[in-house]
Amino acid sequence: MTATKKLTIARAMAESLAQEMRVDPNVFVMGEDIAQLGGVFGNTRGLLDEFGSDRIRDTPISETAFIGAGVGAAMDGMRPVVELMFVDFFGVCFDAIYNMMAKNIYFSGGNSNVPMVIMASTGGGYSDGGQHSQCLYGTFAHLPGMKVVAPSNAYDAKGLMTAAIRDNSPVIYLFHKGLQGMGWLGTEPAAINQVPEDNYVLEIGKAKTVAEGNDITIVSIGIGVHHALKAAQELKQHDISAEVIDLRSLVPLDREHIIASVKKTGRLLVVDEDYHSFGVSGEIIASVVEHDHLMLKTPPQRITFPDIPIPFSRPMEQWALPSTEKIVDACLMMKEK
Amino acid sequence: MNPTDTQRLWMYRNMLISRYMEERIESIYMEGKKPVFNMANGPIPGEMHLSNGQEPCAVGICAHLTAEDVVTATHRPHHIAVAKGVDLNKMMAEIFGKSTGLSGGRGGHMHLFDSDVNFGCSGIIAQGMGPAVGAALSRKLQNKSGIAVSYIGEGAANQGAFHESLNLASVWKLPVIFIIEDNNWGISVSKSASTAVAKNSDRASAYNMPGLSIEENCPDAIFSATQAAVERARTGGGPTLIEIKTSRLAGHFMGDAEDYRPEGEKETLFKADPIPAYRQILLDANIITQADDELLIQETQQVIEEAITFARDSEYPAPEEAMLHVFAQS
Amino acid sequence: MAEVIIIPMDLWEEDEEGVITAWLVDNNTPVKVDQLVAEVMVEKIQYEINSTCDGVISILSKEDDIVSKGSIIAEVS
Repeated sequence: MTATKKLTIARAMAESLAQEMRVDPNVFVMGEDIAQLGGVFGNTRGLLDEFGSDRIRDTPISETAFIGAGVGAAMDGMRPVVELMFVDFFGVCFDAIYNMMAKNIYFSGGNSNVPMVIMASTGGGYSDGGQHSQCLYGTFAHLPGMKVVAPSNAYDAKGLMTAAIRDNSPVIYLFHKGLQGMGWLGTEPAAINQVPEDNYVLEIGKAKTVAEGNDITIVSIGIGVHHALKAAQELKQHDISAEVIDLRSLVPLDREHIIASVKKTGRLLVVDEDYHSFGVSGEIIASVVEHDHLMLKTPPQRITFPDIPIPFSRPMEQWALPSTEKIVDACLMMKEK
Repeated sequence: MNPTDTQRLWMYRNMLISRYMEERIESIYMEGKKPVFNMANGPIPGEMHLSNGQEPCAVGICAHLTAEDVVTATHRPHHIAVAKGVDLNKMMAEIFGKSTGLSGGRGGHMHLFDSDVNFGCSGIIAQGMGPAVGAALSRKLQNKSGIAVSYIGEGAANQGAFHESLNLASVWKLPVIFIIEDNNWGISVSKSASTAVAKNSDRASAYNMPGLSIEENCPDAIFSATQAAVERARTGGGPTLIEIKTSRLAGHFMGDAEDYRPEGEKETLFKADPIPAYRQILLDANIITQADDELLIQETQQVIEEAITFARDSEYPAPEEAMLHVFAQS
Repeated sequence: MAEVIIIPMDLWEEDEEGVITAWLVDNNTPVKVDQLVAEVMVEKIQYEINSTCDGVISILSKEDDIVSKGSIIAEVS
């Protein structure tokens, strides 16, 4: 059995990067504060010492330029991993992302690859305000041409990062700040799990059932998975057996996996920290319903962030966020029907 | 032109207020965050970016401005808000996330808006520049008085919005002034590691506007040097880019370990703290006496303590109030 | 013979307390000397705690426990 050790998601990301960079000289990393500082969220710790400043590059605050540069380098045979410090910053560089990175394979008729990874932090819950707390899963998942992944734990984090780096298509790698293991944003101990020391790939586009159950299917990604797992534990006391699916990827979306589960349970609850309307939760529900609405014993529900800018003040933000209690309440309500 | 004694006292007083405010916020921010530094905890949760050392940049320019002039600032806004005349109680309550805050707790410290004095700030680097250009355009179109001032850091000079905003302001000859507070650090990356030119003020010529570099982190020097830019804007002469060499005495954000700073840098910065230096200038010029100074310090501290009390005593918003004010009332 | 894993007295400068933010090994599992076993956060800085010898680790302090320099957080035997 391969050796494993416990890692935080931050360390798992850095380990994947290091292991890939050791075997592939075309992989390089750039972004703000990723070199000497090791990344504001710890995901490039140790890389500058090992690989030097040619391959681990601090950039100016010039997202349009360096993400655009990532596209150009990727099309020229390199494998850049580019950090967008907060996903909320996509506004200043989105053309490079959705119009070029995501479309150039298509525009080239498949003759060019864009083997680029953008890693960006997501998530709120610690009062960082409306411009530093978003998830934006729907925004990135909606636009064609880029894969989107979001690990909930260190094991997935390393495997997905390696898969993303090796993928010849562009991948948006979203890591939730509350799961990084940085301490100063709170820690979710369940995100810190055993990670093989050797490198490995987790297939992008494959969801995982992380808790088996028969009464209700709870689908989530990122931190929502942890809320759902805690809810599933609590629901046992109410004799409700909840199945929890960790999507791991949004694009491709593992619809088959979700549908198979709902076929079994007949009830669907989606937990998504992103905004409520026009996003991931609606897509999942639509996918299930258009496949076979007769599978459902009760209308599907979703627990999402309301369609408001994320408020700073703690009582307001906490009220708005998905939580274990909200999931438990929803499941109790759905099970009655 | 040099500032009058009244103006100098005004600048000094506002520097005292904003410095004391930062010192008090620094200590209140740490409440609930020891020994476990979890950003979510305490009466002031979230991030905190303090302006200690940069006060002269705020007062030296705001001394030329009135309430009708528009100022946009960044994630490090407090000293500018104070100098612009933002209501201190409401600002403090906003930082504490209370219902009596400038936006009822919706914005917090990086998103302070006070329409009474035309002040706003935003957390995305350089993005405050466009709105300042727009405010200037608005005044020009309406033939209304008032100019716009956009504050940014030196890191922002490498953002696309910087270049677009300068070009647009120049092409349309707008009454806007761009102020770069150059504290040399974009989180952990120094200016020399990120910026192709030694002086960002040199970039002004690329946009056909005057560029000014101020080396002294002193209110008087900044006041005098920026007077022409203000007059230029007010009289239809168009925009100016001004770069001020200032110092960030605190870390980028509260909790920043600052390992990236070269050894001895902080000690040097603290020795050149602009506030004790200005105090000495005023004492030497007999504009204040030691006794005046002590009274002024007491008075300014009291103003902040009142704001803190107001903030602490205010209620939090009801959670569902998060749903209000997404759209304008019709 | 059990050795202790102790927060080194010179790990950080001031006398602040820290908190264990992560155990990177499970209780009662084998560890090697110098293996990274835990992360301790002081204010916002993370410090690494390594095992002092080979053996099986017995974790004494949990995640979220407050620790000081000199605190014994585990034994290895």
